[in-house]
Amino acid sequence: MLATPAPSPAETRDNAAFDALLWAMSRPGVPRDLPEPGEGTVITALLDRECLVYSADPLLMPEIMRTGAELADIDRADHVFLGAMTASDPLAAVAIGSDNYPDDGATVIVRASLGSGAAVRLTGPGIDGAVTVQLGGMPDGFWKARAARLRYPMGFDLFFVDGARAVGVPRSTNVEEM
Amino acid sequence: MSLSTLTKPWEAMSYGFLDGSAKRELRRKMLKSVAVPGCQMPYASREVPMARGWGTGGLQVSLTLVNPQTCVKVIDQGADDSVNAASIRRFIAQVAGTPTTMDTLEADLIQSRHRIPEEILREDQVLVLQVPNPEPLRPVQPNMSIARQMHADADYGRMWLQLYEQIVRSGRVMQGASYPSLVNGRHVMTPSPIPRWDVPKLHMARHLTILSAGREKRIFAVPPYTRVEPLVFSDVPYKVEEHGHLTCTRSGTRGFFMNEIPQDDGSSAFEVSDSEWGVKTIRARDGDGESRGETWYKNGEMPQ
Repeated sequence: MLATPAPSPAETRDNAAFDALLWAMSRPGVPRDLPEPGEGTVITALLDRECLVYSADPLLMPEIMRTGAELADIDRADHVFLGAMTASDPLAAVAIGSDNYPDDGATVIVRASLGSGAAVRLTGPGIDGAVTVQLGGMPDGFWKARAARLRYPMGFDLFFVDGARAVGVPRSTNVEEM
Repeated sequence: MSLSTLTKPWEAMSYGFLDGSAKRELRRKMLKSVAVPGCQMPYASREVPMARGWGTGGLQVSLTLVNPQTCVKVIDQGADDSVNAASIRRFIAQVAGTPTTMDTLEADLIQSRHRIPEEILREDQVLVLQVPNPEPLRPVQPNMSIARQMHADADYGRMWLQLYEQIVRSGRVMQGASYPSLVNGRHVMTPSPIPRWDVPKLHMARHLTILSAGREKRIFAVPPYTRVEPLVFSDVPYKVEEHGHLTCTRSGTRGFFMNEIPQDDGSSAFEVSDSEWGVKTIRARDGDGESRGETWYKNGEMPQ
């Protein structure tokens, strides 16, 4: 009989990163700890050569290239890394999928500072009632730009990364600016 | 860049059987299925050493989620000890080195076929349901491209027509298992062939439910605190099986979903379907300590 395989360090890290991402996506607004600070673990847990990736942050490029993912324009990419955003324009170009295939909507990863800045009130699936979360460092009109693109079930799903903490805001979440 | 940075050390078998690219694809699809509750997402569905249709979809999700600390419980039609459940549980433990349990309250990950446990699942637990037929529209629209368009248009009139015809023909809704349910007010899904008894447990539940059909290559999810409403007419209320008054002949527990066991004299005996609940009841009766958690149904009724 085969011995039980032991997880490699990379496997352990990717598994923990995905666990955090899945929890964050199913409980919008609740921060979850990634195994390491930054987008690195998100990249290794999710991306491979089947992915089309856009990154606005050139510092993430080496890590993305290592996964074998193909670089693409923002409107074709299924994973969009926007880094620290200065303007909300990129959201206008992000892929939102189609009514037939909502899964073609992009996963967008943005850097934010959790617990400071403007507060938003989230309601929808995954939230017991409502949750208020402070997401600082967002450019003006970010949530308006998101709302302008969403045509549920078409839309894109957001992860906000602050150091090793991640917050998810899927397309199913209603966001109210406070 | 050197060769060693581009490759990984040799392994006899990847951890959790599935290779890295299979896991990453499932991760991406799981995130999307949580983002659009109840919407069926296509995925590749890799080969696992088990025939398709025997829980390969659920198994792939479980193998992606587990790590050596994840305590795994596997249920087949309520029982932990049937062949399908025992084999899947042993396989996961063998390829992922996970602890296993039969206790619903101890488990971190519960893979299930056709039942949801009677004890309330916690926020940190994940329920993985095996799905034979993920398409609720198949009885009314066998062409899956048209069915996909109907989902896109939220065109569910024929689902109600089907229920109406059942009521006209038989006087009641005949759909016993996989009762079509509206998720988050937008997508109709099949909750997998769980009895009607179990569907209300998904409504605004604390836990995450992932439903995966390996043979049909589709995955969908019900996040926590999400509306799951069985399709009903306002004047014909949703009815669960009338098991609230039945008593289990082996454990004496009352008010839970039962298996009917035909007797030689033509009558029926009943046995609680959630086998571990029965075991816990017997233990409590024999004075071996109380290990039963809070249940969804109380005195055979689902509190509103």
